[in-house]
Amino acid sequence: MSLLEVSNLHTHFISHDLNNNLRVAKGLNGVTFDVDRGEVVGIVGETGAGKSLTAMSIMGLLQSPARIVEGSVRFDGSELVGLSTDELNRIRGTELTMIVQSPLTSLDPLSRVGKQLVRAQREHRNISQAEAWANGVQTMTTVGIPEPERRMRAWPHELSGGMAQRVLIALALINGPRLIIADEPTTGLDVTVQAQILDLLRDLVRDREMGAMIITHDLGVVAHYCTRICVMFAGSIIETGPVRQVFNDPRHPYTQALISSTPKRIAEKGYGQIGGPPPNLYALPAGCHYRDRCSRAADICHQSPPVQDVGGSQQARCHFATDTKTAAATVHHG
Amino acid sequence: MVVPILLGITFLTFMLLRIGDQDPVAMIAGPMADEAAFAEIERELGLDRPFFVQFGIYVGKLATGDLGESWQSSERVADEIRNRLPASLELLLSAVLLGALVGVPVGLRSAQRPNKLFDQVSRFVSLFGFSVPTYWIALMAIFVFFFLLGWAPPPMGRLDLASFPPPDITGSYLVDSILTGDWATARVAAGQLALPVILFSIIVAAPIIKHTRAISLEVLGSDYVRYAKSQGLRPRTVRRIALRNSITPVLTFIGTELTGLLASVSLLELIFAWGGLGQWGLNAILTGDFAAVQGYVLVLALFSVVVFVVIDVLVLLLEPRATLRP
Amino acid sequence: MTEVASTPAPERGFTWSGRALGITRRSPTFAIGLIIVGIFAFVAIFADVISPFGPIETFPHQVLLPPSAAFWFGSDGNGMDMFSRVMHGARFGFGIAVPSAIIMLVIGVPLGLVAGYKGGMVDEIVLRSMDVLRSFPSIVLALAVVAATGQSLVNVVLVIGFLDAPIFTRLVRSEVLALRSSGFVDSAVASGNPTWRILFVHLLPNAIRGSTAMIAVRMAWAVRISATLAFIGVGIQAPTPEWGAMIRQGAEFIISGEWWVALFPGVALVGIVLGFNLLGDGLQDLLDPRRKATGK
Repeated sequence: MSLLEVSNLHTHFISHDLNNNLRVAKGLNGVTFDVDRGEVVGIVGETGAGKSLTAMSIMGLLQSPARIVEGSVRFDGSELVGLSTDELNRIRGTELTMIVQSPLTSLDPLSRVGKQLVRAQREHRNISQAEAWANGVQTMTTVGIPEPERRMRAWPHELSGGMAQRVLIALALINGPRLIIADEPTTGLDVTVQAQILDLLRDLVRDREMGAMIITHDLGVVAHYCTRICVMFAGSIIETGPVRQVFNDPRHPYTQALISSTPKRIAEKGYGQIGGPPPNLYALPAGCHYRDRCSRAADICHQSPPVQDVGGSQQARCHFATDTKTAAATVHHG
Repeated sequence: MVVPILLGITFLTFMLLRIGDQDPVAMIAGPMADEAAFAEIERELGLDRPFFVQFGIYVGKLATGDLGESWQSSERVADEIRNRLPASLELLLSAVLLGALVGVPVGLRSAQRPNKLFDQVSRFVSLFGFSVPTYWIALMAIFVFFFLLGWAPPPMGRLDLASFPPPDITGSYLVDSILTGDWATARVAAGQLALPVILFSIIVAAPIIKHTRAISLEVLGSDYVRYAKSQGLRPRTVRRIALRNSITPVLTFIGTELTGLLASVSLLELIFAWGGLGQWGLNAILTGDFAAVQGYVLVLALFSVVVFVVIDVLVLLLEPRATLRP
Repeated sequence: MTEVASTPAPERGFTWSGRALGITRRSPTFAIGLIIVGIFAFVAIFADVISPFGPIETFPHQVLLPPSAAFWFGSDGNGMDMFSRVMHGARFGFGIAVPSAIIMLVIGVPLGLVAGYKGGMVDEIVLRSMDVLRSFPSIVLALAVVAATGQSLVNVVLVIGFLDAPIFTRLVRSEVLALRSSGFVDSAVASGNPTWRILFVHLLPNAIRGSTAMIAVRMAWAVRISATLAFIGVGIQAPTPEWGAMIRQGAEFIISGEWWVALFPGVALVGIVLGFNLLGDGLQDLLDPRRKATGK
């Protein structure tokens, strides 16, 4: 049994337009993946692919008009979808924690760092102020914040971006989680700090036997820090597998397009528009959602592509996934 | 920054009064006066000098605290203001306190359950408060509560005919009579205060409800509230975080509201014969009592300044992010 | 275990009733406001037809009569039919709201455009003067000006329009600044457009968009303040059937119990102001759906 099992998750945005017509944006369309202890799973995709939405759905943080309409999320065997806020709060912040994109705006502006660390503990268990404070200092040291005693008294707005992100990591660790979800943990940080943060995460996961889910648009991050990769497009996972394997032998045309771009280009621009404009979530094409942009699209693509096993726990959602000859021909190493 | 604005306001008022067709000389002189009397009065009032000279003299006198004399009453403007300001403040501050005490929680609660029944009702009530003219609702209230029900005392000012004002400590009849243990007068003062304060607090509460709601909605949708939820903090804790982050903007808003209220309370003063600054000021405008009008406008502007300073200080104390700017 | 929330198939298509429902759903306030203002507009236009008597037609022997079959809203101190007077008062409501709105825009918008576009010294001057104007409590200023310049409808309209113009200057100016920083202006300049064209063809429509809700709110304010002025005794006076002036008359009779003289014009006043306020609030909901979307 995996630590996290997401099965067939469908999240929709349901609203009405000015003509009183129903408008449904299908944000997630049957997302399925697992995360195990000791694994670092990288979720990649372009903007709008549904990466953050997946994290929000798992954590139960969806705000109207978004809603989970189908599917299941099992954490250590227990179902999370449908739980009450109180029941969710027992797991959130303790066993299942999250690191968000914008640390400086996510920390409570009116509480000092130390208070927030203490609060994160005392909300979940019976622990004295002094002990919680000591834990806070220790965790701050673990995440590499110098002069932790002094920093505990700092206000969030006095921190730099990198420092604030470390505080978020400290907050995520302080109750001994089993799974950390990191949503674009390095956005807005400068390159050296990025590397430090990611090194930290990787070491922690390894040392504590945790699972981790890193959401990013940066393939370089995935290449260096993740053990498995899930590629998302238009709300589904279109390819998944061990990182080395998928990078060497991508089977889905979208993944192939991604990997064949030079690392330099990816590093410079992210990859917003490989091969075309982003899909319209209100009106996804029937069958394979990628077929409008795919160079290999054929008639069969009007049918929903099955998830094909490609060997070595790599899977791709494409009719042509097992077509090794054509696959090898389109991949350029660079 | 403040002084130029005050000067600008003073100048504007000065100019407006003098280009208008109100003629204080004629009013003081009366219908029987002749040419010589007119000229004499004009010279006395200093109105025969050129415009900018007049202005210069006025500003000069201001610097010494001399606001001139009211042509209506021959009293010193400064004295009139000092006598009347406490009455207005008593009414204003009580109403603002009441309005905020009711309005802020309502606004907050509305934001927590947006578009549900409570929210719809409170928004409608708030809009009503925006739309109802102060003077009209005062008249209606007097009719119902005084004429029909006899609950409220006759709208004859701050005390009834039988009572005498308490010794002047704070200027507020209510507070002063309590401080000196004069319960009878205190009761009367409270009775006279009740209706106008309640009415004005409704007017005050309307914008407070609307803006508190808007501020609270923004806070509830913010990154840090979402993050707090992701930490698995109890709903009560999350609410407390949201609340504390809403206080500063709400307070700032109340401050800005307050600055305009000293003027709008004047209508209420008229109807309830309150003897406050507003009533006097309105009268001064209508009768063309130049010095009095200048004084009134100046007091209003100064009041704004004071309120802004107080708010700035409060914000400095509450907000770790605020810093003193040179 | 799945959570079942069925997503029905979305329909397409534009129908008038669909649009009406869609708008009402998005903002019931707008719908109600529109209906109310519509009713008042109808009354204003057809006042002569609806009123049983003329607005200043007197019945000297039927003074201060309570509401009855003959005089639906009663009669006032001069023996005039309150109902007819209240109906005709609607004309003043719009007669003040609409022209002053036009003046506010005519003065405020160009100033905002120029201030935002030119920047620098011009901007500073405009801002500072707006600051001074804004610091003035508007009632007092309006009162002072109208008292000084004479009591007529035109003056009232002009003063109100002038006083509220800074609000639009500020709104338009910040829109222009935002557009400037987004490169919108640069591309227009690069295409070789003359300044006046940039200002009026490119910037104006975008800048105005943010002000539409404010226009409705200011119209509400215009009606309110003109009634207040009339009540104080400045501006329009009796026997003109303006609601504020009517309330002024009614004030005398409240203590003696003739409530109808003050009540009905007040209700009408509240109604139209409420209508405009709802309209403004609703417009904001419609044009800025983000605000309402949080936590529906």
